Amino acid sequence: MPEVMLAAQSPLESVSAFTARDISIREEAGFTLTQVAGFGKAFERPLAAAVGKLPAKVGALQVNEAFTVFRTGPQQFWCVGDVPPQGLPGECLVTPLTSSRCRIRVEGALARRLLARAAAIDFDARSFKPGHFAMTGIHHTPVLIHCVGDNAFHIYAMRTFALAVWEWLVDAGEGMVA
Amino acid sequence: MTAFKRLDTGGRIDRSRTLTFTYDGQRLFGQVGDTLASALLANGKMVVGRSFKYHRPRGFLSAGIEEANGLFTIGEGNRAEPNIPGTMVPLVDGLVARSQNAWPSPAFDLMAVNSLAAPLFGAGFYYKTFMGPFKKSWMFYEPFIRKAAGMGKADAAKDGARHDVEYGFCDVLVVGSGPAGLAAALAAGRAGAKVILAEQDAEPGGSLLSESGDTLERWRAATLAELQALANVTLLVRATAQGIYDGNQVVVSQHLANGQLLHVVRARTIILATGALERPLVFSNNDRPGVMLASALRSYLNRFALAPAARAVIATNNDSAYATAFALAEAGVAVTIAEERAVPAGDLLAQAAALGIAIFPNAGIADTLGGNTLKAVRLKGRHSVTIECDVLAMSGGWNPAVHLTSHGGIRPRYDEAIAAFVPGGFADGQFGAGAMLGHFGLLAAVRDGEGAARSALTRCGISKMPAAVEPPAVRDDRAYGIAVAADPFAVTVPGKAFVDFQHDVTAKDIKVAHQEGYHSVEHLKRYTTLGMATDQGKTSNVNALAMMAALRGLTPAEAGTTTFRPPFSPLTVGALAGRSVGRHFRPTRRSPLHDWNAKNGCTFIEAGPWMRAWYYDWAGATPQEAYVKEMELVRKGVGLADVSTLGKIDVQGPDAAEFLNRVYVNGFAKLPVGKARYGVMLNDDGLVLDDGTTSRISDTQFYMTTTTAQAGEVMSWLEYLLQCHWTDLKVHVSSLTDEWGGMAVSGPDSRKALQLAFPDAEVSTEALPYMGVKDISFGGTTVRILRLSFSGELAYEVHCPANFVTALWEHILKAAAPLGIKPYGLEALASLRIEKGHVAGLELDHRNSLDDLGLGKMAAKEKPYIGKELRLRENMQAPERWSLVGLELMEPEKKLRGGSILFAATDEIKGHGRGYITSVTWSTELGKFIALGLYNGGLRHEGEEITAAFPLKNEQVKLKIVSPHFIDKEGARLHA
Repeated sequence: MPEVMLAAQSPLESVSAFTARDISIREEAGFTLTQVAGFGKAFERPLAAAVGKLPAKVGALQVNEAFTVFRTGPQQFWCVGDVPPQGLPGECLVTPLTSSRCRIRVEGALARRLLARAAAIDFDARSFKPGHFAMTGIHHTPVLIHCVGDNAFHIYAMRTFALAVWEWLVDAGEGMVA
Repeated sequence: MTAFKRLDTGGRIDRSRTLTFTYDGQRLFGQVGDTLASALLANGKMVVGRSFKYHRPRGFLSAGIEEANGLFTIGEGNRAEPNIPGTMVPLVDGLVARSQNAWPSPAFDLMAVNSLAAPLFGAGFYYKTFMGPFKKSWMFYEPFIRKAAGMGKADAAKDGARHDVEYGFCDVLVVGSGPAGLAAALAAGRAGAKVILAEQDAEPGGSLLSESGDTLERWRAATLAELQALANVTLLVRATAQGIYDGNQVVVSQHLANGQLLHVVRARTIILATGALERPLVFSNNDRPGVMLASALRSYLNRFALAPAARAVIATNNDSAYATAFALAEAGVAVTIAEERAVPAGDLLAQAAALGIAIFPNAGIADTLGGNTLKAVRLKGRHSVTIECDVLAMSGGWNPAVHLTSHGGIRPRYDEAIAAFVPGGFADGQFGAGAMLGHFGLLAAVRDGEGAARSALTRCGISKMPAAVEPPAVRDDRAYGIAVAADPFAVTVPGKAFVDFQHDVTAKDIKVAHQEGYHSVEHLKRYTTLGMATDQGKTSNVNALAMMAALRGLTPAEAGTTTFRPPFSPLTVGALAGRSVGRHFRPTRRSPLHDWNAKNGCTFIEAGPWMRAWYYDWAGATPQEAYVKEMELVRKGVGLADVSTLGKIDVQGPDAAEFLNRVYVNGFAKLPVGKARYGVMLNDDGLVLDDGTTSRISDTQFYMTTTTAQAGEVMSWLEYLLQCHWTDLKVHVSSLTDEWGGMAVSGPDSRKALQLAFPDAEVSTEALPYMGVKDISFGGTTVRILRLSFSGELAYEVHCPANFVTALWEHILKAAAPLGIKPYGLEALASLRIEKGHVAGLELDHRNSLDDLGLGKMAAKEKPYIGKELRLRENMQAPERWSLVGLELMEPEKKLRGGSILFAATDEIKGHGRGYITSVTWSTELGKFIALGLYNGGLRHEGEEITAAFPLKNEQVKLKIVSPHFIDKEGARLHA
């Protein structure tokens, strides 16, 4: 049997990007998400060696050269990069989560208002700045929203709910530009 | 008859832009700047509705949100919305409006015959008349009553409007954009606070819009311009604050062109600048079209350039109505004032005299004359003269709009000086300003607004104080001057003197309610329906409460007021639902194989939030046909089923084994790496929470699976235990339900299928025995093969990261095609497990113990586990508990139904029986219907014949109690 390579498939393969004046919604795939947890400070040192500086507080993130590191809990980090962190010792409890999330990019002058119609978070430019993230809910499902530019956001949605969240966001977008 | 004329100059309308609209099918014209109400008045439509009970002709009472009479259905088809006050609808080109509660038209309404029976319709009419003579009389009468009396009708069609919800956050929310609100917003905005200013009108300005003269308009325009230039200020128009909730959360509904937007605003502080609403006077026939509030007439004149055709009478008990009189006189209208007070203020008398206005002191209105329109009024008092007029404007004083302050439970306080209720206080972070505090006057409003803003800024911790807000250059406010002692609330009025216009409640009704013992203001409201309906008594409450107080010999303060609750004005269900309708009502959860299934003949079924593969068309066109074939495939060959919906949890850490050992009833501490074990966990009541298999991946890592239905609950339960009970355990749990997908490869040929699909992997029974687990590297990812069986056949589950599940599924189908492998769905999956006697969600309903389900033997005796002590309670071990049994149908020509109630053969078929059927299927192996059920005493009755009753279809069938393991009791197939 010739060697088989399994092709990755996104749950959003059946949809097209939504683009309108001042708002666009599209999938931004091609990332690797790795959760690393541990106990005390013992796991943070080798993790920092692998991914760079770690954010000090829960709810903060650190953009390093190869990884964006979200502190999602007191002893838990999400590391987003092109590849998983390498060389982590046993103190680091590693859980690959790349398949578990879809990354949706919402961008444009209306992006903040669109998100205000999706989650009960203050998305005002003075409050939710580039480099901020929030773990919240959209359409009754858990999401992580990361502000990646003045009016640009990544939404990490659960894979199994991704299409429902996508349709919810696009519906909101259509309502705003109708 | 035309009672109003459009003036050639003045007003806020744009005479160069004419709009066309339709009213009851008639094409009419208005101007940009009109409301529907002003446009109808300009077109001579004085009668715009019929009253609720008596079908009396009604015209506009007000020019604002308090409108009680002029309600319309706006829009057509699926965009039609009933009960909209015409005073709040900005006129737009093509607007379609229909009158309500009248047939064929408001001007000629055949239902006016109701008024002949008016004596019957008094207070408590419904209670007295329609509750007998029989027990269900009300149910009989209700449809007729609703047809004869009522308001508009909602269309049954799906709402064509697009509503949404938007969350907002601010330092200062200002409600109302009159002079107080504008000043407050400007002061807060200048200080850099994030401000939201919500105005219910289409244009900001509040009472300023209804005043004449350039001075005020210049101030309004300059203030607005500065506000609009501030990036930190958001102005919302047609936006009504409907309710204030805990934590200063305010719901503001905003009308947009294509629907409503519900703003859910979390405000650090709230400034209520909601103004005041004018009260009507109560006199005979005070509801005749052409009788309106004095403030409304001032609005129609100054804002909409509409003046009475020739003559107007003003009836008042306070100074505020004089501004209307003076403006009318200046517009050339002949004005007479019927003044309830004996001596009005001297400066007003002088100004009136200069404008040629006749004043009758000590002379309220005795009655009005006319038909569908007003012809004349008869004054009461010693003058007793009749005065011809086109319009009668009345002012009984002003009610501060205190509604929002009461939503948190603070009751209003009666202020004798203004004969009205004022806020009884403010919740933390809330402030009032202007007329809503009972401070009537323009300069007072501006001062209040600025002061409230400073208080709000301090509360927000904003130390920068703004520059002072310059008030408009007008002379100082004059006194309000209401005649508090002049008995403005007389209850001895003859004829129909309306207190509540919208619900046709008269002064006499209040008297009757008092006579019949309904003294409390809450009882008065319910007995007469006063203050109910769409206007919620905005114009009627205080008059009615004061009347009842007078009848009881109390002051209004002693009588109290009813409770104001949200919403402030009617909200549609559509606005509340927003976009959470149709497919967006709740999120749909889809397996990684959803797209493949959708393209390959799968019929889906909803299972909780999931869309699961129910059956495939290769096996049949109906589920009944298909699942039997799919079962046969698995029993005789090999099938492939999507099991990605199973809950999957990563359990990691040095104490992971100890943790699982405490969670499950059976032992997990010594589970070897590379092995899986079936486990059952109890909740802390000792009842079964869930079951599943957990595999040991390494010394410190386990891969737990749960049922689809309980995945979330189990995850929360594990987190709770770790965070609250066993904080000393070093364990992390993470949901993998979305990360990993899986498929069951089931049937006697399943090993061959795996060998074809993974030729390099060793899957022999020696290398991968029953309950063995191994990870292999395949196709660029990790594939986890677990030798488990839900069907009772030789079977495996193959899991991998969800991104690759579809490719892996297609690969197995292709590789094992020579074996005839095909997909099978949930119906077959669930039926196969019934034949094997495996419990699932229908049996694991949080009411059954381990022993009820026949699993007691698997519990460890020595080690502790969650629920152990309570599981062993005497009652939980009672022999008569409903326990798991297998059931076989004894009457082959009949059908067995899930949910049937079980009775002993000799029982009367009545009540809850001795148990019920949880799961039922056709058994392909046994050729008969079989079932699982719970039965009193369980398998102690094995071999007995019993009866299953299905009362919904009046069916009864004979069954036999058997072991729940219908096939392969020894497990030979599993271990093949």
